[in-house]
Amino acid sequence: MIEPKHHKPASPASTGKDGTTFTRRSVLAGAAAATASATIGGDVPAFAQAPVAAADLSTFVTLSSALTGIAAGKLKPFADSLDLSRDFFDWIGDWSAKRQSAAFAALLQVTKSMALQPGADGIIKQPDVDRLVNAIEQRGDEPKYLARSIVLMWYLGSWYEPEALKKLPAKAPSFIGHTVISPKAYTQGWVWHVAQAHPMGYSDLQFGYWTREPPPLPLSDFIGKRDAKTRPKPPKGG
Amino acid sequence: MADDDIDVVIVGSGFAGSLIANELAQQGKKIVILEAGDGLPSNINRYLERFYKAEDKVPESPYPPPMSDNDGHFDTSDPKTVRAGRPTLRTLGPGKWNDPKQSYLDQSEAKRPFASTYNRVAGGTSHWLGTCLRFVPSDFKMKTLYGKSVPEFVDWPIGYDDLVDWYGKAEAELGVSANVADQKYLNINFPSDYNYPMPAIPESPTDRAIADALANLTTAQTAFLGMATAPTSVRVRGLPAARNSQPYRNRRACAGNTNCIPICPTQAKYDPTISLHEPLNHKNVRMMRHTVAREIILDADLRNVSEIKYTRYSVTSNETVTNTIKAKIFIIAANAIETPRLLLMSRNDERTPEGVANFTGMVGKYLMDHPYYLAWGHMPLNGKQLWPYRGPLITSGIGDLCDGPFRSQRGAFRVDIGNEGWNFVAAGIVGSDPHATTIDFVNGVNRSLSKQPSRNGVGLFGPALTKALNDNITRQFRIGFLVEQTPDAGNRVTLSHHVDGLGLRRPKIAYDLSSYTRLGIAAAYKMKNLIFQKMGAIDYTDLVVADRDPTRFEQQIDGKPVTLNYGGAGHIMGTHRMGFDRNDSVVDSFQRSHDHDNLYLVGSGTFPTGATANPTLTIAALALRTADRIGKRV
Repeated sequence: MIEPKHHKPASPASTGKDGTTFTRRSVLAGAAAATASATIGGDVPAFAQAPVAAADLSTFVTLSSALTGIAAGKLKPFADSLDLSRDFFDWIGDWSAKRQSAAFAALLQVTKSMALQPGADGIIKQPDVDRLVNAIEQRGDEPKYLARSIVLMWYLGSWYEPEALKKLPAKAPSFIGHTVISPKAYTQGWVWHVAQAHPMGYSDLQFGYWTREPPPLPLSDFIGKRDAKTRPKPPKGG
Repeated sequence: MADDDIDVVIVGSGFAGSLIANELAQQGKKIVILEAGDGLPSNINRYLERFYKAEDKVPESPYPPPMSDNDGHFDTSDPKTVRAGRPTLRTLGPGKWNDPKQSYLDQSEAKRPFASTYNRVAGGTSHWLGTCLRFVPSDFKMKTLYGKSVPEFVDWPIGYDDLVDWYGKAEAELGVSANVADQKYLNINFPSDYNYPMPAIPESPTDRAIADALANLTTAQTAFLGMATAPTSVRVRGLPAARNSQPYRNRRACAGNTNCIPICPTQAKYDPTISLHEPLNHKNVRMMRHTVAREIILDADLRNVSEIKYTRYSVTSNETVTNTIKAKIFIIAANAIETPRLLLMSRNDERTPEGVANFTGMVGKYLMDHPYYLAWGHMPLNGKQLWPYRGPLITSGIGDLCDGPFRSQRGAFRVDIGNEGWNFVAAGIVGSDPHATTIDFVNGVNRSLSKQPSRNGVGLFGPALTKALNDNITRQFRIGFLVEQTPDAGNRVTLSHHVDGLGLRRPKIAYDLSSYTRLGIAAAYKMKNLIFQKMGAIDYTDLVVADRDPTRFEQQIDGKPVTLNYGGAGHIMGTHRMGFDRNDSVVDSFQRSHDHDNLYLVGSGTFPTGATANPTLTIAALALRTADRIGKRV
């Protein structure tokens, strides 16, 4: 259903300043995404849709936490000056509007229906993740590959088109292009933390750290509720 | 500054041009630098932002002119529309490298790709690794030592002893971190009171793993190397680097950003913009940016250069201005492809139809690189973690194997140990890591063919994903072999009939690997096998060589055909080499043209042989020696 011929792409979503904000949120608000983006103009103020978006943003973070294996509090920290979860949420909203895709709405709906609870470390347990993935993949290829794009977004800071992921051959070397979402999306990519490293070209570690092995800690120390151990910790009890 | 006051005009502001400008400015000389690309930025923030945003974080990605559109995707402009063009990594792939409509260098008739690239911007090679190796003494007398069986080899007109003090001065200027005791091998020597400016940079866990693997070997295992005595251990040594191990000259210590190439975000790594800042603050020094030298104009008796003709272009419009500039001394520091290009373009109304400094027809010949053989390893999942993507890109290497009797038979190699996992594996084929591995797991595919077991489309999510990524990525490593290349007259730079955006003829490249050089790569392949076997590592090197890779070739090794390939090291050398007189060379040991008294052609283009060491420190030492000589002349 990618951009059917009789539908013009919803231009405000991709080009309009205010229309962009409005359209992507209206898409997320309901299941009738295609009609929403096509029929509602770009002149409704963004704040009109904000409450709905805020609730969905929280569902998006839960979905992201389950799929990535990273605590929600890490993806969207309490005092979040970077606000990457919002950027990603808006990005997918734009993408959905442009494609007139209901896949994102479906992902959020499935997530809401699951009541996913993290463990003490903030990480959602594997059986719950498997149930979620199973439910998503039952909804068809569009939500299935969009879910994968969302994981790659968090890990790499890049957008991989779900359609391109779907077409990727399973075993042959093959090229797939991507778009870096923003400099901060790159520098906040989670793959680096999961590898107990740091984004290339963006490190706040000190001279000589590399000669020592990182402490042999459970991964949850990097991606769960506690702070990463590669950084100096404040003294205990402080 | 009026034109007739100018002491020195320098074309190019890379390592050689910047260092010479800085030395001469301190003596009060009046200098104009012609820079083809952008000038010095006030800070590197825009470079960094462009790097972060780039889809492919290739060496040229941060530097202007931007090689990507606003979304970070590679821009495929026809090089005939680009006014100060450059070769790029993205135009080296199959179907691109030999198509002059895509590739700036015209390689349409090259036997194999010349696989190195360069930038044209103030500061030149800021995207270097920082490696500051001295040549070993034998490297300067290849004809004397090995010329009987390898007739292509020539001797340098100077030896290690002539350069030893200049090496020291260059190490001070660039700020090199290393330990003298660790760098004394193969007869490299230092004055008795010498210390490097800063202590050595500590090694990485990968360095230690390889050092352990090579600590105990049998002579049967190392006989293939052809050393005077087959070694029973091979030492891994710290790599001297212009990377601060403590604060030095107002720059901070390296924070291990693992990003020396393309860009050090803290400038703890020296780059030529650092030497350029000083002279450009001086009233006697002026840089003309976006100014392309197009012809070196000789006086009536062709003995001296009288002026240089240049075109200055606007970056915001199609406007250009062409003019000339006079000086007492002219220095061409435009790299070993752009310098011969300018010399060959300088026909002086057919008074010099073969170009300037070319009375004996040697300009452009003997182009060399260090063909770079890359090996990709992975420790088994129940094996040791190596923790890549931490620390400088390279901290250690193997230098002890780069000279010996085998040099009568095959090219020498030097070994780099990477700290960046599979970051630049198979770029353009499956993409680089950590992208490739993350996609493989999330999408349940196995494009890099390294995931076991294959997932058949079943993605990994949640804790299973974080565990798989950690298990795999922390066990990646790579080794690179810099292989010595013979100076072959057929490997050369000439002028293409394809032009750039200013209507100037672009460089045309002829390039091949001699049998001697290919045998050097074959020896590197055997060394790779030994290292991987001793480490207990899984070898993925062969899988990375794509069918359509234009650098691949078949080589018989121990009676079996093996597919090998190579990359570029970015070490462009040899095209205006130094020697004893005009019959064997273009310049003398002070890098002065044999043909024209006031013309100096500097940089690695003057290297008569290329050895295995990264050329930068030798470029810098020669530049300081040349600056000293020029300072005494004007």
